Amino acid sequence: MSYAGIILTFVFVNNFVLTRFLGLCPVISNSDRLDHALGLGAAVTFIMSLASLGSWLLFHIVLQPLGIEFLQTVTFVLISAGLVQLTSHLVSRFVPVLERFVGSYFSLITTNCAVLGITLIAVRSDYNAGESLVAGISAGAGFVLALLLVSTLREKLDHEWVPEPFRGTPIAFISMGLMAMAFMAFDRALLVNLVG
Amino acid sequence: MSTGSRSAPVTVASSPQFFDSAHTRRIMWTVSAVLTPAAAWGVYVFGIHAFFVLFASIIAAVIGEGVMARILNRRTLRDGSAVLTGLMVGMTMPPAVPVYIPVVASLFAIIVVKWTFGGLGSNWMNPALAGRVFVYFSWTPAMTGWTMPSTLPQADAVSGASMLGLIKQGLSGTGGHVGSPLRFLRDAGFPVSTTDTAVTDWLNQHVLHALGFSIPGGYVDPFLGNIPGSIGEVSAALLLLGTVVLLARRIITWEIPASYFLSFALLTWVFGGARYGTGLFGGDILFQLFTGGFILGAFYMATDTVTTPLTSAGMLIYGGGAGILTFLIRFYGAVPEGVALAIILMNVFTPLINRYTRPGRYGLSEGRR
Amino acid sequence: MALGLCPALAVTTRVVNGLGIGAALTFVLVSSNVIIALLRDVIPERGRLTSYIAVIASLVTVVDLTMQAYTPRLSEQLGIYVPLLAVNCLILGRSQAFARRSEGGHTVLDSLGIGLGFTVSLTVISLVREVLGAGSITLFPMGNFSGIVKIPVLSDSPARIMVLAAGAFLVTGYLKALFNWTRMHQPRSAQPSQERAV
Repeated sequence: MSYAGIILTFVFVNNFVLTRFLGLCPVISNSDRLDHALGLGAAVTFIMSLASLGSWLLFHIVLQPLGIEFLQTVTFVLISAGLVQLTSHLVSRFVPVLERFVGSYFSLITTNCAVLGITLIAVRSDYNAGESLVAGISAGAGFVLALLLVSTLREKLDHEWVPEPFRGTPIAFISMGLMAMAFMAFDRALLVNLVG
Repeated sequence: MSTGSRSAPVTVASSPQFFDSAHTRRIMWTVSAVLTPAAAWGVYVFGIHAFFVLFASIIAAVIGEGVMARILNRRTLRDGSAVLTGLMVGMTMPPAVPVYIPVVASLFAIIVVKWTFGGLGSNWMNPALAGRVFVYFSWTPAMTGWTMPSTLPQADAVSGASMLGLIKQGLSGTGGHVGSPLRFLRDAGFPVSTTDTAVTDWLNQHVLHALGFSIPGGYVDPFLGNIPGSIGEVSAALLLLGTVVLLARRIITWEIPASYFLSFALLTWVFGGARYGTGLFGGDILFQLFTGGFILGAFYMATDTVTTPLTSAGMLIYGGGAGILTFLIRFYGAVPEGVALAIILMNVFTPLINRYTRPGRYGLSEGRR
Repeated sequence: MALGLCPALAVTTRVVNGLGIGAALTFVLVSSNVIIALLRDVIPERGRLTSYIAVIASLVTVVDLTMQAYTPRLSEQLGIYVPLLAVNCLILGRSQAFARRSEGGHTVLDSLGIGLGFTVSLTVISLVREVLGAGSITLFPMGNFSGIVKIPVLSDSPARIMVLAAGAFLVTGYLKALFNWTRMHQPRSAQPSQERAV
């Protein structure tokens, strides 16, 4: 698939959060404030891009030649965890200004389904290195988009007369259901006709 | 995670904050009244089953509303909003659809999209359109089977299809070249009414000749409502008349319809032709405007105050976005019409738009009327 | 509890899927707790998180490969969501909280309970989605029984959106609300700890 196709797929057609249910945990627990949401989104996208590329490299350079592909789950998770540690360390060392914005989110990302998800998907979709990287960035962008939308929505819902049993998580899920339904407008046909 | 404090003395709901019942009731019933001629036309050209569809959607909506108001212990909101939602749901239904479908759509609209969020004013997605999209994706074959209006001559070659549907099929069949939509439809056997021919000829001879151009036959039918489509969407003429009333009474404002119309028309004109194979700047604007429920959507659905941005700037962005999305979905996507999906997609973006188009003095905004 | 559900929701399109992923999760949860509890004293403080992750991921790989070998169609349906259990917030959270402090017996029973609760929730969601969205109930094929139970009226024209993403969100949201509602109307003295979000 072309790069444009990959971008459109991961941001709109198969949005990580709204279609694949990945990255839901942080969206549900962190989406009630917009600035938090943006910081988290930036951190996640960054890690997802690196992890996607890194896992691809690992898979094709080490795992496949040695015939130990079955270790992908373990190794990919460790790579992601390692990358998170490394990045958070580098951030506090060299760009302490950033720490305030994204520091606390790194621990959350270690166990983020979205990060592991993109590494597995990229490998299973037979992407090359470049496509993996673009997929990682796009998936992250899709995550940020979903996070942004859900977060602004929840800020609004906080002021509404939502019935008691629904307040908090349930209404968030139902809203996301409606969002997912709306996003069905972006279908495969749209993608194919637009970018070929 | 904030859950809002019900015990706090002051809660700030988003606009519109006040639902003075008399005012709301008047608005709801006015819009319902204004929509009725178009709905009646639909029953006239599509047959008695269309009436049952409308009836079922309205009854289901009212019952749903009654039940929810009871459960949540709200004072009875017999303010006409349920009837209006039911009517709107019914009007977006294909005329021959099995009755359980509009019932489900209405119930979904009232219970899930409206009351789960807290009732009138608390929802963020347009209930009628959400209901329609829900049943569209659930029972797609039933929702894409159309009826020829009784005012058009019989045409077995194209029975069951809508104009946009035929063109979509044509696009994939001919590898992207359908040329001018009207000509494509004529070639496919799509009939034209005698009224259309008569009016077109008259216009060409007496009005347009003086201005130096002429229009082909086939525009008058969509304008009058002699085309297959949803029950309430076909008569552009009656809907536009209603719009005048709504604008005059300030029930809707110009920003959203204008920006929606502009962005959609512009994109259609510039790129629509490229997509259909007639080249850039060759798109057929009139055809796209009068088909696929655009008039109904742009003037009646997209202007719902609850689910749209608060400021003028926000509304213009909203309308513009809806136009872009409708263009993309109609010309490139699998769904033939696109209006309903475009609007609910923009509903999703409305809180974000509101966030970034906040007026300078929060809480003292000028409001829309 | 809602948090641990996240990715598993994707597969709740058939009842058997819900059962399958619930079973996988329960197995990983219980075994990881046991192993981590046993290794509690051996692991240094610093490498704790990483070692937990490694243990869980290895167990997940075992489950995944086993399923691929013995229940290939189910494994195909569940796709990447089995490996994704490796980062399931629920499993990791519990391994951190419990394996450190409790003795072996207490941990296992609690985890088993949580795993079962999880499986039940997922299966209920799958049931609703499959019945409304496909008009059937799919279970394990046994002997002559193909495993698929068709429901008379619904299987002719099911509401297909229920087996798509939107349906999952909606069903989960309403289920959670129902859950909240029953809790609101039956006050208990102590909230079970697993209900608290991680």
